[in-house]
Amino acid sequence: MEFEPKIVAFLCNWCSYTGADLAGTSRMKYPANIKIIRIMCSGRIGPTFVLKAFREGADGVMICGCHPGDCHYHEGNYKCLRRYKLIQKYIQQMGIEQDRLRLSWISASEGKQFAELAQSMTEVIRELGPCDIKSVMETFA
Amino acid sequence: MSNIRIGVYVCWCGTNIAKMVDVKQVAEAVGNMDDVVISKDYKYMCSDPGQELIIKDIKEHKLNRVVVSACSPRIHELTFRKALENAGLNAYLFQMANIREQVSWVHVNRKEATKKAIALVRGAINRVRWHEPLEKRRVDVNPATLIIGGGIAGMSAALEIARADKQVILLEKEKELGGQLRFVNRTFPDFIPTSDFIEPMKDDVLHHPRISVLTEANLNELHGYIGNFIGHIQTGAKELKVEFGNIIVASGLKPFNPAPMENYGYGKLPNVITSLELEKMLQTGEIRQTNRKLPEKVAIIHCVGSRSSQYHEFCSSTCCMTALKYSNQVLDMLPNSQVYQLYADMRAMGKGCEELYTATSRKNVMFLMYDQEDGLPYIRKAGPKEDCNLLIEVNEKLSGERIEVPADLVVLMVGMEAHEQAKKLGQTVGISLCGNEFYIEKHPKLDPVATTTDGVYVSGSCQSPKNISDSITQAKAAAARILATINYGSVEVEVTTAHVNEDICCGCQTCVRVCPYGAISYIADDRVSRVNEVLCKGCGTCTTSCPTGAISSRHFTEKQILSQIEGVMLELMEN
Repeated sequence: MEFEPKIVAFLCNWCSYTGADLAGTSRMKYPANIKIIRIMCSGRIGPTFVLKAFREGADGVMICGCHPGDCHYHEGNYKCLRRYKLIQKYIQQMGIEQDRLRLSWISASEGKQFAELAQSMTEVIRELGPCDIKSVMETFA
Repeated sequence: MSNIRIGVYVCWCGTNIAKMVDVKQVAEAVGNMDDVVISKDYKYMCSDPGQELIIKDIKEHKLNRVVVSACSPRIHELTFRKALENAGLNAYLFQMANIREQVSWVHVNRKEATKKAIALVRGAINRVRWHEPLEKRRVDVNPATLIIGGGIAGMSAALEIARADKQVILLEKEKELGGQLRFVNRTFPDFIPTSDFIEPMKDDVLHHPRISVLTEANLNELHGYIGNFIGHIQTGAKELKVEFGNIIVASGLKPFNPAPMENYGYGKLPNVITSLELEKMLQTGEIRQTNRKLPEKVAIIHCVGSRSSQYHEFCSSTCCMTALKYSNQVLDMLPNSQVYQLYADMRAMGKGCEELYTATSRKNVMFLMYDQEDGLPYIRKAGPKEDCNLLIEVNEKLSGERIEVPADLVVLMVGMEAHEQAKKLGQTVGISLCGNEFYIEKHPKLDPVATTTDGVYVSGSCQSPKNISDSITQAKAAAARILATINYGSVEVEVTTAHVNEDICCGCQTCVRVCPYGAISYIADDRVSRVNEVLCKGCGTCTTSCPTGAISSRHFTEKQILSQIEGVMLELMEN
């Protein structure tokens, strides 16, 4: 059976989730591999959620927030960016390839960009193959 | 045994969802999950019978959690929360799974879409299990309103509110009120002189005891929340601090500058003017060429900068009818002249507009169609032997021929675009821009007046290009919305705020530093941080920063989100 990537996407409510909704209302198409979890702000995203997603078997994780300067809560996306860099370092030390975690800015009007991002993320993860960190984590659990 | 009793409802949305997602399979697949008491599918969950179904089941099956799997929560979350309340259940014991905008409308394989829908519903079920009842809070509303922009929309809203005896602070960035209509001579389709209504309106606004007009003024900073905003307003060298409860942004738009479009030679060729320059001529009562001669041939080119992949993709909406208005005005002033209309598509929607088109087409007006994809019209100077100043080369669509249109005066119907300051103002008041830099309304169909920031409304052309009556309609709607909250005296505010478990808080004050609203303070006596829940907007960054896990975000708790992640990943087990 062909490998179907499992991707969890955390989207902020104001820009990115609305952008993903717009992809729907505009009837744009992207692979069904992406499963979206809504949070209020990308500033709510920390290592716990990202690691949990990998722990539960995700092959890739996406975080989407408002563009710099556009955060509904002024600066949550900047905090997300800082944490993202740390989480990136952390997952690499765990042996997870950095391309499996991606941070992107998607505005409420960028339905097309979201659909393209979902498409490209799926392709990247398909190329990388399954993330085997789940079994590693279970071994040490 | 758990006392959680979950009801799951999978909506067909007619065929919108049911066509791409096997809704029955979704309802069945989640029906045997722990705590799920009933799992059903129904044609339209948001309809009255759909809501009744939930209410009936809550009572009959003693449900204490509800999941609706349907459209985006941005559309109907409030609808279903109300249904829960009607059944006597707390509104927050509810979760939606978005299987329309984020499943059926974006996927093409029914099997995969169904599988994903099941995963999302499982996530929602897992999450709702940990939902807690939250009590709604209300705050008092300051009855004053700030209106940004003194054009027709801003002034209409100001008068509406002031006439209800409520205070208005009206900011205008220019020296005088009136907005773009200051430059427009008459309206379409009825040729009413704009000064007939703009001047009395300005007068009413300037002299109304409940309206304070601040000209050459800008909003520098905004703090607070619905009902209780504080704005820092710049007027000249002074900065005023003003308090108000609601805001209407009516900051308008500006005309497109056609100079970068080389084919029209604007700014280089004499007698190529913009629509606004023609308005000036109409206002003075004289249409003349640069050499003061009367033009015999007047060509009007539509869609300049509009509906173009290079400039603005949107339709500026008012130019077609304005162009027809010009045809009539030119013919009135120069009865022997010939008018050419070079149009891309004639858009004559709206009351009286099709009639204007029909009436104009019976006059000495020649309509020539061009296709923007097939090259734009090109203007060049006519030779000395020609009986005109300018020649417009155009691929005429209906004849299929490249023709030359003679003209003494060419009017470019310039489109409209958002202000340069739109982005900055949007960031100050907390509203987003769409791809064309116009402000985004809360919902394009159901709430075209409010924005995603509570207490901030949009009116007029800053939301999208509009004619006068549509601007006034939206302005008065915003005014009515605000008057309703003022009349009630209080509004519901966010309850999904952060709170500190003071037993665990170590007093490190990380949260105090990350909060964008200054909502958290350190209580030195108790050596803990405490959240001012009126200021907290629930972004959750403090929760994520807290090293001890003492802070949690209501309705977005660690447990709720982690469980949702587990739920959406559950499908793995079946592979």
